[in-house]
Order: sequence, then structure tokens, then C-alpha cells
Amino acid sequence: MARTVIPFGPQHPVLPEPLQLKLVMEDDKVIEALPAIGYVHRGLEKLAELKDFNQMIYVVERVCGICSFMHSMAYVRGIESIMGIQIPDRAEYLRVIWAEIGRLQSHFLWLGLLADAFGFESLFMETWKYREKILDLMEMTTGNRVIVSANKVGGVAHDFTDEHVKAILLAVSDLEKEMHQVETVFVQNYTVKQRTIGVGVLTRSEAIEYSVLGPIARASGIKMDLRETGYSAYKYLNFETIVEKEGDCYARTVVRIREIYQSLDLIRQAVEKLPTGDIIVPVKGFPKGEVISRLEQPRGEAIYYISANGTKNLQRLKIRTPTFGNIPALLKMLPGSNLQDVPVLVLTIDPCISCTER
Amino acid sequence: MLDNLLEIEKDKIFDETGILKVNGYRFVAASCEQVGELFEITYHFDLNYEMKHLRIFTEAFGEIKSISSIYPAAFLIENEYQDLYGFVFTDLIIDYKGNLYLSRKAEKSPWVIKK
Repeated sequence: MARTVIPFGPQHPVLPEPLQLKLVMEDDKVIEALPAIGYVHRGLEKLAELKDFNQMIYVVERVCGICSFMHSMAYVRGIESIMGIQIPDRAEYLRVIWAEIGRLQSHFLWLGLLADAFGFESLFMETWKYREKILDLMEMTTGNRVIVSANKVGGVAHDFTDEHVKAILLAVSDLEKEMHQVETVFVQNYTVKQRTIGVGVLTRSEAIEYSVLGPIARASGIKMDLRETGYSAYKYLNFETIVEKEGDCYARTVVRIREIYQSLDLIRQAVEKLPTGDIIVPVKGFPKGEVISRLEQPRGEAIYYISANGTKNLQRLKIRTPTFGNIPALLKMLPGSNLQDVPVLVLTIDPCISCTER
Repeated sequence: MLDNLLEIEKDKIFDETGILKVNGYRFVAASCEQVGELFEITYHFDLNYEMKHLRIFTEAFGEIKSISSIYPAAFLIENEYQDLYGFVFTDLIIDYKGNLYLSRKAEKSPWVIKK
């Protein structure tokens, strides 16, 4: 049978950002896939050699709008580690609360995009309606909805008031109830199941082979979540890593839905245990040494390699974002699938091209 | 200095990586830094949240054996360093030939500090 090559992207209705997959097809079956990135590569890492290490917080926040807070968190944790800075406990808790709020808005955004990809517009709008409430929390506590600039080397820039705490707990309670309604559709609806069950299966051994991360790994039966290491205030909170075994698009959806409940619970725990005290400590001097800082973003493990030479500029900053680590797995997941499944399948790795094109 | 860092000869990177694979390590990332006339490439691996690092040194535009046949996830970062630093990774499973990020008209190896 003759083979044809179909370019999927870089402009495609399901892709808000430019990624191209060259799909080698036999009839409507994908035989091979070749990813192409680099359409909007920014070289932000190189800026670390020109900007003050404190200014770089605002640069790394812009690696990605969706996990903006966690990018700056990974970066400042790395700098704090090099400089031997112990930040106040209250700041650790605040970071975890904002990180989990960030995870919520990312997962809700993704659920909406998935609903949109299989043409379920009302579900898409319902999901994003809830996401607005989460962004409202960001705005209330930091003054901004997306790029919040709450992290500083040595702590955080904003504190919670009693009104903030009450509003967060109320929002968490409301979202939990509302999520149950949306969950029913995502998990039980016939159409959703038809489009996701058995599609894009990545077995556990394939997931290990391709070093996949985050919800994709956990949907393939790999128990891997860096929050288990207890960084920041996670060591004070109770949670179980969520794992599914089927490795298909449905399992990846279920993992993220369960992680929404998990994040709501973590926020509630952190708010209830929030200690009193300072939110930042004074920082003097410049960083010197090398370190790897990593944490669990909504899409998986993010790595910050920082090399500093005792001046205000860093010698080298290397950022490995989760999507950059997950794209190679598409080489395994796409072959054998039908063309109509490609949009949903690609979406279930939750590709963030902004992150990838740092 | 990173914990669990092993500096090895450039020619041994493929074999040493293979040993880590056999021992169950996951490929995490690779970082590259220009140090004077040389470049240090550090490969990062993880097993049960413990990291291990292999570091090699290479000259500008040096040839390095790709580890992508051992860890397919490494092909993107190796292609990235081909673009940015001008190295040549041999036996890449997918080789963009220096055009992962760069167009054919772009300046070659833009991240090499030229004196």
C-alpha cells in the first residue's frame, strides 16, 4: 500500500501552540511519526548569563504561563540551595498552596481542551468556568491571575490574610462538589469512553523505555511523583501518588481527574496547617556552585540545573521541562493509531510547547 | 559540585550509560556548559529519586556517540546541543542535522562563545 506523509500542525485546531508531527500513513493508520519543534524557540536559558540572578525569577516565570509559579519555585529553590538559605515555614506552605492552585488550573485547562478536541463544547465551557474560579484565587492572593511573581529568593512576596484563607477553603469546597458533576461526564460518558479507551496505549515497560514523566507515567502504572520526596511543605502533608495501569488516553484522563481531588485536598491540608511567622528572610551575596533543583509540575518533573560562579550572573541555567521529556514517547504511542485519534492522543500528553521552546 | 557525579572519558559515555540502563536508571536530562576552550556535558539519571550524573569534556564541534539508542528520550536534547553548540552526535536515532531549532540560513552553533 502506498504511503503518504501528513503534516499534523504546526497550526491545528487542537494545538494552541506550534508543534508539528510528520505522520507517515498507510490508508488511515499511522505507521511512523516524526516530531518537529523549534518554531518559537526563545533561548531564555541564555539570558541567565546576562541578567541578575534575581531578575531571572521573572524570566523563568515566562517559560510557561500554565505552570509559571512552579517554574519560579524550582528556580528559587535551586538558588536557595546553592546559597544555603533556609526559608520560613510559612513561606514553604504558601509556595505549596500556590503550586497546587497552579496544578488545578492546569488540569482544568487540559480537561477543557480534551473536551474541545472530541467536540464536546458544553463540557469544555463548563470545565473552563471552574478554572476561572481558580484563577480568581490567584488574583485575590497575588494580584495577578497567570504570571503571579510571588516567589523571591528567600521566601515569597505576598502573604495570606484571614479573608484569603476563608475564601480559599470555600472555593475548595465548592470546586470539589462541582468537579463531581464534570467527573461523571469524563469518566462515564459513552462518547468520551469511545474516544479514549484503548487509544494510544503506552505500556509500563514502554513508559520506562521512553523515560516518560508525570501523569503519563502514572497512567502507565509507574509510581513516580517528586512530591513524594517531601520537598518544600509536602513533607508535612498526607497524600498518595495516583496510579492507573491501562496506559491509554482514558487512564491519562482519570489520573488528572483524581489529581484534581488530590490538589484540592492538599490545599485544604496546607491552609489548615499554615503556620504563623515571617514569609521571607534577607538574602546577601551571590550564588556560587552548582545544583539541580527539581519538582513535580502538572505535566511532570521539571529540572533546573544551575551553575553559578559567585557573580550576579549565572554561569549556566539549563531547564528541562516535562513536555520536552514526554515528546519522544509520541514516537511509540502514535504508530498503529488511526488518524482520527491523533488529536486526542497528542492532547493526552498535555503538550506545552511554550515550556518546550524555553 | 553535584553529588554522585562521575567524570569519564568522552569515549566511554555510551558504555557507562548502558550500565546505568541495566541497573534501572531513568534518563532525566543533559546539560552543557562552556568552560574555557572546552565544553562539559553532564548527563543526569535517576533511580528512586536518587540522581546520578556522568560528565564528559569535549572540544568545540567535537564528535560524541549518541546515547539515544539506549535511551530514546535523549534524542531531542542531543539534537538541541548539535544545534546550539555544533557538536556531532553519531548514531542518533533521529538526526535533524543541526536543524531542530535552526533554519538553514541561521547562524551555526549560536551558543558557542566566540573570542
